[in-house]
Amino acid sequence: MITHELIERIEGEALIDFRTDRSGRVQDAQIRFLHFRGMEAILEGRHPLDALVIAPRVCGICGHSHLIAAVEAIEAAYRHSGAEVKLSMKARSIRNVTKFSELLQNHLKWLYLIMLGESAKLLREEHPLPLKALNAASQANRLAALFSGQWPHSSYALPGGVTCDPTHIEIMQALKILAELERFVEAEVLGCSFGEFETIRSYRDLTALGGDFGKLLQNVERLGLADTGHSHGRFLVLGEHPGCRSMAIDGNTRRAADVANVSEDASAVIEGKTYAKNALYEGAFYETGPLARALVSGRSVIGAIHEAHGDSASVRIAARMDEMVDLLKNIRRLIETLDLSEPSYIAPPPIETISGEGRGIVEAPRGSLIHTLRIEKGKIIAYAMITPTQWNLGNGTAVSPGVAQKAMIGAQSRDKASFLFRTFDVCSVCTTH
Amino acid sequence: MPSKPAKFQIVWLQGITCNGNTHSFLNDPLLGSLLDKVRFLYHPILPSQMSLRELVVKIPKSDLLIVEGAYRGDFERGGAVMEKLLPALAARAKNIVALGSCASFGGIFKEASPESISGIVYDKSEATGPLAAMREKVINLGGCPAHPEWLSFVIGMMLNKRKVALDELGRPKELYAYTVHNGCLRNDYFEWKVDSRSFGTKEGCLYYEQGCQGPFTHGSCNKILWNGVASKTRAGTPCFGCTEPTFPKTDLFRTKTYMSIPSEMPLGVPKRSYLALAGAAKSFHIKRLEERLIDDHA
Repeated sequence: MITHELIERIEGEALIDFRTDRSGRVQDAQIRFLHFRGMEAILEGRHPLDALVIAPRVCGICGHSHLIAAVEAIEAAYRHSGAEVKLSMKARSIRNVTKFSELLQNHLKWLYLIMLGESAKLLREEHPLPLKALNAASQANRLAALFSGQWPHSSYALPGGVTCDPTHIEIMQALKILAELERFVEAEVLGCSFGEFETIRSYRDLTALGGDFGKLLQNVERLGLADTGHSHGRFLVLGEHPGCRSMAIDGNTRRAADVANVSEDASAVIEGKTYAKNALYEGAFYETGPLARALVSGRSVIGAIHEAHGDSASVRIAARMDEMVDLLKNIRRLIETLDLSEPSYIAPPPIETISGEGRGIVEAPRGSLIHTLRIEKGKIIAYAMITPTQWNLGNGTAVSPGVAQKAMIGAQSRDKASFLFRTFDVCSVCTTH
Repeated sequence: MPSKPAKFQIVWLQGITCNGNTHSFLNDPLLGSLLDKVRFLYHPILPSQMSLRELVVKIPKSDLLIVEGAYRGDFERGGAVMEKLLPALAARAKNIVALGSCASFGGIFKEASPESISGIVYDKSEATGPLAAMREKVINLGGCPAHPEWLSFVIGMMLNKRKVALDELGRPKELYAYTVHNGCLRNDYFEWKVDSRSFGTKEGCLYYEQGCQGPFTHGSCNKILWNGVASKTRAGTPCFGCTEPTFPKTDLFRTKTYMSIPSEMPLGVPKRSYLALAGAAKSFHIKRLEERLIDDHA
């Protein structure tokens, strides 16, 4: 039987065409994204710095990642054309602080607004809106705004640095907000201190956690989904940031990843049917996002449970939650070591003198984000983006399925498959840029 | 005993969008007390009574229809085309808010297809959108995105049955009678015509070289701060004029000049008067404004 299911309460909306057997078990799932917006074409012909204003508007929840990808692409174009563009350590750190804050708010919203609610719905339980989580997410955004001016949609990164010039006032405000966020994650998300969390090595200990993270894992277990949702076991990280480098993992083999092996496949793009292109690495579907990043950075608890359970739904969830702890640790280190005496911005040569191609790669909340542009004497000639959910939600065939497709095949029901789909933190907004 | 008064019912509909207004709204620090008074019949992320499918089939009555995102007739939501869905929901709504620049004027997504994409009442500044005939009940909250407090202000006014005074583009005067320049911490520099010379400093005005549109953009970004702590100009970023129907202009980080004078004047200032004033102001050299504010960072 074929059923078309509208998937709501993601970023945007998606349709999944499920093929099920008599018992309702999912045999195939074709994912469709409906809303194409043409952002790349909007950018072509514009002044390169306009990309710093337009590109963040691709996505209201990870626009900051788009900003950083855009500015790094322009900086790469400088270098490619032989011009120098310098960046102080301070500017790099500030960009990372705001980027990590964006990841943090995304993960909080995913846990509380989407996953806890959807799992409760499947269990037929009440799930009141956790306003405490929205408050915490808005604190993460406030932390970013101290440096970036606002969240969503800031344009504070420029080739050569950042526009802000923080002083001790911003640093003290940032540390206060950070302490509040750390307290929230310890008390509400984990239900234990970071110190205790770091001693955890087993999946059982994670599910026993008293916080909302433990509750989600328990819900997933009660739904019988903990050990389902396995995909290809191939992982990819293309962006680099503190604690994370570019790498491809295939089973037990790890190798440095090369963006030259990335390709896009538009065979699934049919006018009016779906607007999302497949993103492939060495011609195959690879999973990107927190689980890939955790395996690359060698974060111990995720490594251990992945070893024991593979790329299951619960391990995927655990990786996104564990990343929150890692992000907080990194934000604290970056803020505490920020050298305010360094310049925020080092003016590069005028962009009107630059002709060249550049690529910016960023680890966004949902995975690797790539912007590529070509500039001719201060004008954008070509602009191309590959967004994180394109990797995970690519549409293959029943024989050679995409990452999320494979995770859904075999699910007992369409509802359970849709839940597994959400473990990837779905975004149709950026996918159909 | 009379039953409790019915909650104020809201439908939140998305056109062509990035979800930025949705996520901006979630930053409202007093969201909890607002949600005590209103009920979302449909919202894309927050818990609501109906699914999208139910919304497009039932077309419920509402006290307020919030539209986020630009309009294109054949754009579909929940399998229904906007051409039918939007007027149907609008006709059954007591009030309508066009939230953000896309719904207000077309915004960034209009650039992709200028002939077919517009705001719900305005196409840029022309009132030729699909709800032009209902413009009396539409409030425009231009901004990319709109500030959460701008929306909760308008909802608060409706809850308290007060009339919102609007400007000629349907924007609340309470929020848009100001310019972004109002409350900007760089106003000292603007007065004495001291340019910031470089990005990445807190000194100097961004209007002369860096493209800042604050002096002629309507908005309260420097009055009602973003995320409670900041604004673009406070973080050294020029204002891009995102609350205006002209957004997005081009060449956003550079001020267009004519004979080294900005070609667009501060709101309401004639060019000739400005030139006289600028000449006089520039003859002052105020040491305080030529130095770093805090030069000891260590």
